Amino acid sequence: RPYGGYEYPQQAGFVPHDMMQQQQPYTGQIYQPTQGYTPASAQSFYGSNFEDEPPLLEELGINFDHIWQKTLTVLHPLKVADGTIMNETDLAGPMVFCLAFGATLLLAGKIQFGYVYGISAIGCLGMFCLLNLMSITGVSFGCVASVLGYCLLPMILLSSFAIVFSLQGMMGIILTAGIIGWCSFSASKIFISALAMEGQQLLVAYPCALLYGVFALISVF
Amino acid sequence: MAAPGTAGGGRSGAPAAEWGGFEDNMQGGGSAVIDMENMDDTSGSSFEDMGEMHQRMKEEEEEEAEGEAGAGEEEDGEFLGMKGLRGQLGRQVADQMWQVGKRQASRAFSLYANIDILRPYFDVEPVQVRARLVESMIPVKMINFPQKIAGELYGPLMLVFTLVAILLHGMKTSDTIIREGTLMGTAIGTCFGYWLGVSSFMYFLAYLCNAQITMVQMLSLLGYGLFGHCITLFVTYNIHFHSLFYVFWLVVGGLSTLRMVAVLVSRTVGHTQRLILCGTLAALHMLFLLYLHFAYHKVVEGILDTLEGPNMPPFQRVARDIPVVSNAVLNTTAKAIALTL
Repeated sequence: RPYGGYEYPQQAGFVPHDMMQQQQPYTGQIYQPTQGYTPASAQSFYGSNFEDEPPLLEELGINFDHIWQKTLTVLHPLKVADGTIMNETDLAGPMVFCLAFGATLLLAGKIQFGYVYGISAIGCLGMFCLLNLMSITGVSFGCVASVLGYCLLPMILLSSFAIVFSLQGMMGIILTAGIIGWCSFSASKIFISALAMEGQQLLVAYPCALLYGVFALISVF
Repeated sequence: MAAPGTAGGGRSGAPAAEWGGFEDNMQGGGSAVIDMENMDDTSGSSFEDMGEMHQRMKEEEEEEAEGEAGAGEEEDGEFLGMKGLRGQLGRQVADQMWQVGKRQASRAFSLYANIDILRPYFDVEPVQVRARLVESMIPVKMINFPQKIAGELYGPLMLVFTLVAILLHGMKTSDTIIREGTLMGTAIGTCFGYWLGVSSFMYFLAYLCNAQITMVQMLSLLGYGLFGHCITLFVTYNIHFHSLFYVFWLVVGGLSTLRMVAVLVSRTVGHTQRLILCGTLAALHMLFLLYLHFAYHKVVEGILDTLEGPNMPPFQRVARDIPVVSNAVLNTTAKAIALTL
């Protein structure tokens, strides 16, 4: 049979190729076990045991330790950011933070999930274009969305504060300005370390401050 | 069953050699015969393996059937043959989808590559941006030889976004309601429309008047001219004094307009042309500041009341809550009157 030996390897070769393509361009350490594993599992086609499969969280790409690390990096403004932790496009944490932000707004009587979604989508797109233009190495959209989502965490503090107190007084203005500064400082710190753009932290922080300012506008008014 | 198997293994020797790496892990060496006895229990296996297995079993059945019917009709390299139609077609479809996806991704990538044209205009240092911001408020004195304009787009873009944010803040603090559209859309449309539209218009006028200025330079000049607008609006949206706004309008708006006008004058030859260009730019710039202040924020309570006068509903019926006592009194009085009539 002419196709006998040919079809079979093509089938085995198709699946891991597909899996590997989906994990470019930024693959962190978490994906390596899966990458190394998939070709073997495709080739032991009859044998793929239940025990040989990777754990569910690893397959989904949710690494709680990294999520916790990134959260700590955001919460400590003076902690030095490690550039490699942002290599994984992890959207589970940012998704949770956006939902928490919407939930705290809901508790204050503002049903504005649509605004949060729209502004975060447009803001991520804008930052993606700007960072690609300003940095020497490019950046992927997932990385930008991930960083901006993580740095939304202090904004959740602001909106939960707005549940109890009104933010339209002088104290509210000071608190809002402080939180916006905190968010944009963390975001620019992570972007600078991930993209190696020393000396341009202020230039990256300002657009982030504008974006988080719009979120703060939603919280305050 | 063994004869077609080994014959197939023999014929597949040549194309199978290229895939040697995979063959090493194959069961049964270079032949495609499935040895069902070595199969493990696949009740927990992954979906892909089940699909592969199922496909291979089907192909083996079809191969046997065709092997008996007349295997000599096959040709090497024919993928769309009748043999193993189901398996081949499925793989073809998957392959085609992969190709289409890859083509779309590469098209998107080449679109992204066009953005690289703008890359040199975003290569700035914070010190440069600060210096240019300060310079945009200082009119130049020397108009006899062309003044240098920095062809940079980061500063102007950030200033336009800042103006959008200030407008939004002003609209929110004054509870402005936009009936057809959204606050954000209106703010972005106004600011970007002004920046891009007036820049294009001035570039067109400059082309008519033979001024030495490129489109990027015009965008940059007008963008930095919005710095004065940002300062004025930021202050006067929060401190509501009419006279304060006029002072800021004249001083701050005037300074940034003078700067832009001086730069344009230095790059134009001829009195009429200079007059046309500078008059247009000055008028548009100052009027835009006036428009932004009055259209997007409540200025003074008194003015607003007079403005809202005609918009009040003509007559409003409001339910009055009459106290119970007077109601009883009213009823008694009505009955008394009815009795007397």
